[in-house]
Amino acid sequence: MDLLTQLFTDPFAFWTSHTLLISQIGINSILASSMFVVLYSGQLSLAAPGFMAIGAYTAVLMDLYWHTPLAVDFAAGTALAGLVGAIVGLPVLRLRGVFLAIATIGFIEALSLGVILNLPITGEGLGLKNIDADPVGGVNIVLISLAVVVYLLWRLTKGRLGYAWTAVRQDELAARSQGIDVPRYKLIAFVISALLAGYAGAAESHLYFILDPNEYGVPRTVQVLTFAVLGGSGNVLGPVVGALFLTTFPFIFKQAGDYIGVVSGAVLIAIIVFRPQGIVGRGGFAFVRPRWWPRPQSRAPSTG
Amino acid sequence: MRRLRLGSVLVAAIIAAACGSAGGGGTPANSYAGKTIKLGAVLSITGAGGVYGPQSRDGMNLAVDQINKAGGVNGAQISLTVADDASLQSQSAQVAQTMILSDQDLALLGPTLSNSAVAVHPLAEQQKIPILAVSTTGINIVPNCNFPSTVACRYVFRDSLGEETAIPDNIQSYASDAHPSTGVLLVAQDDKFSSDGGKIVEANVAKYNINLLKTIKFNKAEADLSPYVTTAVGLHPDVIFITSLGGIPAKIMIEARKQGWQGQFLGGNGFNTATVSKNAGAAGLGARSASAWYLGNSFPSNADFVTAFKTAYGHDPDQFAAQGYTGIKIIADAAKRANLTFSDLAGDRDRLRAAMETVNIQSPLGPFQFTSTHDVKQTVWVIKMDGQGGFTLVHEIKAS
Amino acid sequence: MGQQILNAIFIGSIYALFAVGYTLVFGVLDILNLAHSAVFTLGAAVTYTLVVNHGQSFWLACVLGIFVAALMGLVIEYVCLRPLRRRRAPPIAALISTIGLALIIIAAIEQGRPGTLFAWLWVDGANPVTMPPGAFPNPTWHVAGLTLEGSKLAVIPISLALMLVLGYVMRSTQVGRGLRAVAENPRAARLMGIDVDRMIALTLVISSALGGLAGILFGVALGDISPYIGRDSVEVRGLAVIVLGGMGSIPGAVLGGYLLGLIEVLAVVLLGSNVRAGVAFAALFLMLVLRPQGFFGAQLRERI
Repeated sequence: MDLLTQLFTDPFAFWTSHTLLISQIGINSILASSMFVVLYSGQLSLAAPGFMAIGAYTAVLMDLYWHTPLAVDFAAGTALAGLVGAIVGLPVLRLRGVFLAIATIGFIEALSLGVILNLPITGEGLGLKNIDADPVGGVNIVLISLAVVVYLLWRLTKGRLGYAWTAVRQDELAARSQGIDVPRYKLIAFVISALLAGYAGAAESHLYFILDPNEYGVPRTVQVLTFAVLGGSGNVLGPVVGALFLTTFPFIFKQAGDYIGVVSGAVLIAIIVFRPQGIVGRGGFAFVRPRWWPRPQSRAPSTG
Repeated sequence: MRRLRLGSVLVAAIIAAACGSAGGGGTPANSYAGKTIKLGAVLSITGAGGVYGPQSRDGMNLAVDQINKAGGVNGAQISLTVADDASLQSQSAQVAQTMILSDQDLALLGPTLSNSAVAVHPLAEQQKIPILAVSTTGINIVPNCNFPSTVACRYVFRDSLGEETAIPDNIQSYASDAHPSTGVLLVAQDDKFSSDGGKIVEANVAKYNINLLKTIKFNKAEADLSPYVTTAVGLHPDVIFITSLGGIPAKIMIEARKQGWQGQFLGGNGFNTATVSKNAGAAGLGARSASAWYLGNSFPSNADFVTAFKTAYGHDPDQFAAQGYTGIKIIADAAKRANLTFSDLAGDRDRLRAAMETVNIQSPLGPFQFTSTHDVKQTVWVIKMDGQGGFTLVHEIKAS
Repeated sequence: MGQQILNAIFIGSIYALFAVGYTLVFGVLDILNLAHSAVFTLGAAVTYTLVVNHGQSFWLACVLGIFVAALMGLVIEYVCLRPLRRRRAPPIAALISTIGLALIIIAAIEQGRPGTLFAWLWVDGANPVTMPPGAFPNPTWHVAGLTLEGSKLAVIPISLALMLVLGYVMRSTQVGRGLRAVAENPRAARLMGIDVDRMIALTLVISSALGGLAGILFGVALGDISPYIGRDSVEVRGLAVIVLGGMGSIPGAVLGGYLLGLIEVLAVVLLGSNVRAGVAFAALFLMLVLRPQGFFGAQLRERI
């Protein structure tokens, strides 16, 4: 049955028969939120899949070898991702913009190609079987987590931390001159982002029976970046909207058939061209702006 | 995810046209007449598995078309929905869940890739719906889909020849012909199919007195494989084993021949597509693999399939088309004998599952039955590349 | 070992040629053009299709392949970049719109099968193909235990020559001075009477033509043409190359290309096979942390 038709005519059946899809939307929303945090503090970090992998593998290995309760697995995965985030964040946060982006790509590729694919404990290219996965029941955990994440981020962005991030994002030099400890606030954002990605990874690992090392590479990071940017930076709901729209896209636009890739590419361009600030966004990501790039409220007339 | 609208229109037209012939059959259980058997296939149409998925789909659609035109299954029409999983295990599991719970399909086929199979099969097992793998050859697909748990899976079947059978058969066949003494293994380490194949090679060479000099692992997304080939050729082995997918085996063969190496290539299921033989060209001449299917087999169930496929699509089928086609025939045969009620879905799925265990049909793969563990029991065809994009038959190894 | 050095120089040439186009756009626009790897694929795919399915001669097909790639450069400018500049969108939006275009190009090639909408572009679907032997002269010599293959050897002088020409154009011609002026300061360049939009379009045409040519050389010499060659083989490595050499620096990209080729081959020879990719990215990560300006970047650009 058509996805949308069923959603409106029989929401209960929709819920029970699409728990995996709904869960994936939730996971992707948390990932997009993790991207949102770093973007909000003015950093283009693409490290999310690396932290996801750490969270996911830690959670599954804990369960496999020590049979620890789910909450402990999740907490361990999240914490380890945050720890690695702090270690990686210290040196790379001196970098900006595209440099940070590429350094973090180096991090995720070195992690997945160099480490995960070569450690016997991770199952190498075979991936890791997670027999305790719960594809049907996992959805509750995911949605509750998402609600908590969105609420916490909303509080954070409205609090002192949020104002500091905004100041750093808009003008790092000005922020510094006002006495804001820029490196500290950047590192906080980076670690929060790593924690969220690690948690998303752990939660996702609970949904599928296998951890596939190929899921934590560059295509994933491009996807997450797209969720966050397309959704918009205006408020914490942006990433959720972006993830919701893009995750359900192939299910809703079934008519595109085999051409789904072509259609989604075209839709992506159309949305970003007509709403560069994202679906929900207002301000836009002012920080990733070359010196000469016209400002939003620029007095100068635009080019030709 | 694609619902074959055209297909269903066609089906509707055929239902109307076929009423007479179905009635003419006389014998079928009345409860089937006018009913629809809903099947779902999770295939990789886009992404890396796009090499195989569309072939499986063509094979399946041909079988559905033939069965429906011939009056259906005891008068019931088959309706097949093919969903694309974009070669991602997560999307594979999502569409499978939709098919099981929302579309309420009677049985599933697929998924295309082994990685996805490991995600989807336990889900099908949990939801108690029969699922038939039509292209996955890795380890721990059947019967131990819940690996490392040793509880055998009851709902998971496959009609694709596992590498655990094919690779040892192939090595044995070549070893008894040529008695090689050294080998090097080139294995793509970053997908399940290839890594599984590599592990099987490593476990079996000693049996045939082949000394494996080195296992060289690489990633699928390497720009240039030449450095690995140079290393392999530098060891002067008698045999180079290649377990990898897509165009990679052909690239390795071409490069090794250019570097002057004269030995024998042995491989797995990754050799068995026309693409590999065509790309390798003269460099592939003589490269051997064990296949589930051979284009040149002249027994009627294959010759008819090949003719019909060429008529429908304008080109030769490959192994994946043959296995997809066989998959539909297997389920149709089981459905015919399962006494389906068309009202009790869970019961029907169970009845179909039980009937699938006793399938015994003539297929393009040869006489087809399942083993007691739901794996393939069929003749294995050891084939070699003819240097011109095709294959010739070397040995025929009957199922024991 | 000699053969391995040859392997390194060959693939290094491809990396360099690809990365020069990448870095040129970054140098002028401060934007990462993520459609560049799709243009690489497109060049190779168009050339193959023209030879095999439309019966054109190999040389004409190569010229047309480069032409189509160059045209795609205009599409990138007119569809993905210029509308966003007009709307004063942040450059991160351009990242997303080029991702969208890459998605379209790759999906169109991937779905090019007999009987589909894109059968004119490509007929082998996701299958990798090789140029038929005999389509182009490819003599092979065996000298002193080395295998010297015509098609691979040719790549080296072609790449070097083109990069020298480009270097000359950038340094010593009117057009080159215009491009550099735009790169330095677009507003000032405009005041000096330089047509900035035209310069940007020209940059994308040159960059894409080079990217397309790199794809053709790669596909022909390695016998590997598929919808995924750009994404899998050069996209991320291209980033590594331009960072190693210094963002925006053309000689840097050339040296970075050869350096990456050498690092990867040495990783295979010295460290065993399976850590090759991981090593390259670990090197990238360290390079960024220790020397973010690369080997040739004059100073760290902080604007993006």
